[in-house]
Amino acid sequence: MTVVLKASAGFLRRHPWQLGLAVLGITAGVAVIIAVDLANGSARLAFLESLDAVTGEATHQVVGGPDGVDEAFYAELRTERGYTALAPIVESDAVIRNPDGDRVLTLLGADLFAEQALRDYRFNPGDTSGSFEDLFDRFLTAPGSVVVSEQTADELGLRLNESFTVVVRGREREASLVATFADAGTLGAYLLADIATAQEWLDSPGRLSRIDIRLNEDELAAFRALLPDGNRLLHAAGRTQSTLEMTDAFMINLNAMSLLALLVGLFLIYNSASFTVLQRRPLIGTLRALGVTQRQVLFAIVGEAAVLGAIGGILGVLLGVWLGEKLLFFVTQSINDLYFRLAVSDVRLSGITLAKGLAAGVVAALVAAAVPALEAAGYPPRLTMARSTLEGKTGRALPWVAVAGMALMALAWLTLTASETSLLAGLVAIFLLILSFALTIPWIVAHLAGLFAPLADRLGGVTARLAVAGIAASLSRTGVAVVALAVAVSATIGVSVMVDSFRGSVQSWLERTLSADVYLGLPSGGIDPDLIEAVTELDAVEAFSTSRRTLFFDGDGQTRLIVIRMAPGGYGGVEILDADPAEVWPRWDREDAVLVSEPYAWRNGLRRGDAVALPTDRGRRDFPVLATFQSYDVNGSGVLMSRSVFDRHWTDTTVDSIGLYLDDAARSGEIVAEVEALGRRFDQRVFASSNTGIRELSLSIFDRTFIITDILYWLAVGVAIVGIFGAMLALQLERGRELGLLRSLGMTRSELSGNVAIQTGTIGALAGLAAIPLGIAMAWVLIEVINRRAFGWQIAMDVAPGFVAGGVLLAIAAALVGGAYPAWRAGGTEPALAMREE
Amino acid sequence: MDSKVAITLEHLTKTYIEGDREHAVLNDVHASIARGASVAIRGRSGSGKSTLLNLIAGIDVPDRGSVVVDGTDVTALDERRRTLFRRRHIGFVYQAFNLIPTLSVADNVRLVLELNRVTGAKAEHRIDELLDAVDLLKRKQSRPDVLSGGEQQRVAVARALAHRPSLILADEPTGNLDDDAAGKVLAVLERLLRQTGGTLLIATHSDRVARSCDLTLALSGGRLDRQETA
Repeated sequence: MTVVLKASAGFLRRHPWQLGLAVLGITAGVAVIIAVDLANGSARLAFLESLDAVTGEATHQVVGGPDGVDEAFYAELRTERGYTALAPIVESDAVIRNPDGDRVLTLLGADLFAEQALRDYRFNPGDTSGSFEDLFDRFLTAPGSVVVSEQTADELGLRLNESFTVVVRGREREASLVATFADAGTLGAYLLADIATAQEWLDSPGRLSRIDIRLNEDELAAFRALLPDGNRLLHAAGRTQSTLEMTDAFMINLNAMSLLALLVGLFLIYNSASFTVLQRRPLIGTLRALGVTQRQVLFAIVGEAAVLGAIGGILGVLLGVWLGEKLLFFVTQSINDLYFRLAVSDVRLSGITLAKGLAAGVVAALVAAAVPALEAAGYPPRLTMARSTLEGKTGRALPWVAVAGMALMALAWLTLTASETSLLAGLVAIFLLILSFALTIPWIVAHLAGLFAPLADRLGGVTARLAVAGIAASLSRTGVAVVALAVAVSATIGVSVMVDSFRGSVQSWLERTLSADVYLGLPSGGIDPDLIEAVTELDAVEAFSTSRRTLFFDGDGQTRLIVIRMAPGGYGGVEILDADPAEVWPRWDREDAVLVSEPYAWRNGLRRGDAVALPTDRGRRDFPVLATFQSYDVNGSGVLMSRSVFDRHWTDTTVDSIGLYLDDAARSGEIVAEVEALGRRFDQRVFASSNTGIRELSLSIFDRTFIITDILYWLAVGVAIVGIFGAMLALQLERGRELGLLRSLGMTRSELSGNVAIQTGTIGALAGLAAIPLGIAMAWVLIEVINRRAFGWQIAMDVAPGFVAGGVLLAIAAALVGGAYPAWRAGGTEPALAMREE
Repeated sequence: MDSKVAITLEHLTKTYIEGDREHAVLNDVHASIARGASVAIRGRSGSGKSTLLNLIAGIDVPDRGSVVVDGTDVTALDERRRTLFRRRHIGFVYQAFNLIPTLSVADNVRLVLELNRVTGAKAEHRIDELLDAVDLLKRKQSRPDVLSGGEQQRVAVARALAHRPSLILADEPTGNLDDDAAGKVLAVLERLLRQTGGTLLIATHSDRVARSCDLTLALSGGRLDRQETA
């Protein structure tokens, strides 16, 4: 080790807490990045692996209309056309009752003989001989035989060869676990049954959800010619991709939140690096006087940052793995709530993730240390720069830094306006906005502190003024901490305003959309026609609407068709955004045309007058778009069609939900009970609820989705608190002599602690105030740009004063928490310090 | 209590540990200083002058012995009471001025008044009076870093005397000043002391400062002895 490095290292050894804080900053930032990366990556990988397992070697899928594919076509392909690498699949939702909460699994009805050509399901040897043949025998001989993954069986308390109840299409069925998958949890979201069992449970004999088939490119044209009307051939990988793409925006947003934590961590590292450099200025001045070159000083500081970055990176990766396991639960829950069935057992570590964490740590540390290192290298020999000189330098630089901030703000605006629809550009703009504010905040703080000082004087006298004025006078120490806290708090304001505005919009939308008094429905499959008749003939029911939701996949993505027979009072529940409802509704009922949801229109670049191509039973057909309607459907795939139009093009008569309009809304509870009783009578357990109940359920899912966002921004606040802690501690160290003087002039320990607490509280208040404009700007970008570009939603922005005030209070509380120990420590300052010479 | 005595030191002993051996900075020191006297304490660097001032001010506590200031045994007080005693009865002047750079000249003086609950017009009047006395009234709103060393020390003197303490402790107050500036500071200090009637204890290397005092005590080998001024 060179003497230069040795001298630097010696300083750090004597200030272990500073060293610790620098490492902590990197560790915290890297940990959040790694955690989100692992949680997202593991969820994605689990989804891909499970789809790989159930897709097997199939290259294509034959899909039909809403009522699926005729089994006769499968038989024709196998027996008459000579295709052997194909397998019929029936797929639906199945609910397994559990005391800890019902679990919805994907029921996969398969022909195990045919499966052997495409897939290689493996079963735990202890359960059967492990062979396909043995399992096949049991599937045929024992009705209701099913297989789940070992982990799912454990979680649900299912035992081999014991019966349990499965609810499919609202009907309770008896199932028996005959084996478990030997898949290490890959198939955790699936319930495998024999295809005949699945068809029986779904009351759809002779119908398949799809046919999986292995085809090479040469066979495609001939095969397509065989397809009956209404059937289509899809790429298996394309379907997987389009399902996965739905989660892209969700995952990008999470990654952006994790970057925010790193950014706050970056300020923290910058803070620590600056302190260590500033405090070593006499040492650096002396070294320079002794002949150490600027380059040697620069290398020493940068090298030190790289080592700290590597240590922080390694610790961050370890902490991130732990945190990732916790986050995975929330990510999986959100994906299950919003997108598709997913079971993930644990985080998957990859070399790339580890390298990413390490690189993030080192790069962040180098970036953060670059400015202080350059500054240190620029110290003239022998000059131990006086504090006032240093602060003067900082003060003179502030306006220029603020101007640079304004320039970045303009760049953020340009990025937004020039990029039009790019989500990535929107996120870049947010980070530019944060940086622009970060550069402007110290200048604002200097002015605000100047304004606050006389007020502090009036309220708390010279000591309060001293505390407040000290902030502006020590900006080289306090500025970055204020920025870190302001950025973290602005994120809480921005995200809170966005989530609250979003929630308000969703709430209004639900109130408008759920115009019926009582709803009943099934998650998949159709409601028994006899039950429909019985329910709609109840005395209290004045009118009713029916609906059918079905999903079409094609090469470009997926389309969710919502088919509705409107009740007379139901039209008002759909808000038409770009046309006169009085003109639209009669045409929608009469003509072969559709409405599209706003997110669907956004995602597919559709507008009024364009057309949506849908696969009818008699082939693809274009349906003109009459208008767009407001919707917060997360999948952004809603096309609304009148039942009369649907019936002209499809033979499917399924109804999967009904809205009941009652003569007296107050009777909702009573009617829900009657519907449930009818369900039991017709042996079909439909989900029934008042519109209030559905609203509450929807909002609870909404709130659950944002838990992870809350966690991430609280982590950012946590990182900022550490920053304040470090900054205040360093400041008290710097102020040691001044504090000693105050003690020698007769200030008591508690008065001195109070003085420091006033200072930290004011830092919090200033950071909170500075966070307001950034928070509101961030909310605006999140609402108008990020949500719009990611999901196509238009949200009415509503800045609740409570969130803004809460942000300021949070900043003050965070600063006081971060400054508590430094304040206590300041109280213990020895007055004799003031008697010593500098 | 003898009302003519400002400070009584009895068996005052203070030892520091250096490495594995003890170093007695003050060793059984006895002294009695009359009220209103100005006393110079001389001694080599490290002889214990600052330690003695710290002990008298109650900033530090002795290993043995007592310090009685104006009839109060400072060494018998707890830390908080020592602080409050110091706040009310003692004024400090340091070699390095120790003004608070973020406060104006007036606020530096006001700080001590405020700690002693002197506020409002009474405080303003006292600040003006003191700054006028040290010839810095025109620089009232200036920050310390734009003042010369001599000017800063005059502000420090004004601050030390603002609350009319009965005892002024000055640690090398002219150590950082040239002769001219040092002369002005001493003159101001003497003039103000005459007004307040306080006792002055001044640690110094300067013959000139020592000559201006009523009495000179020499600190050497942990002992405090009377020394004739040259």
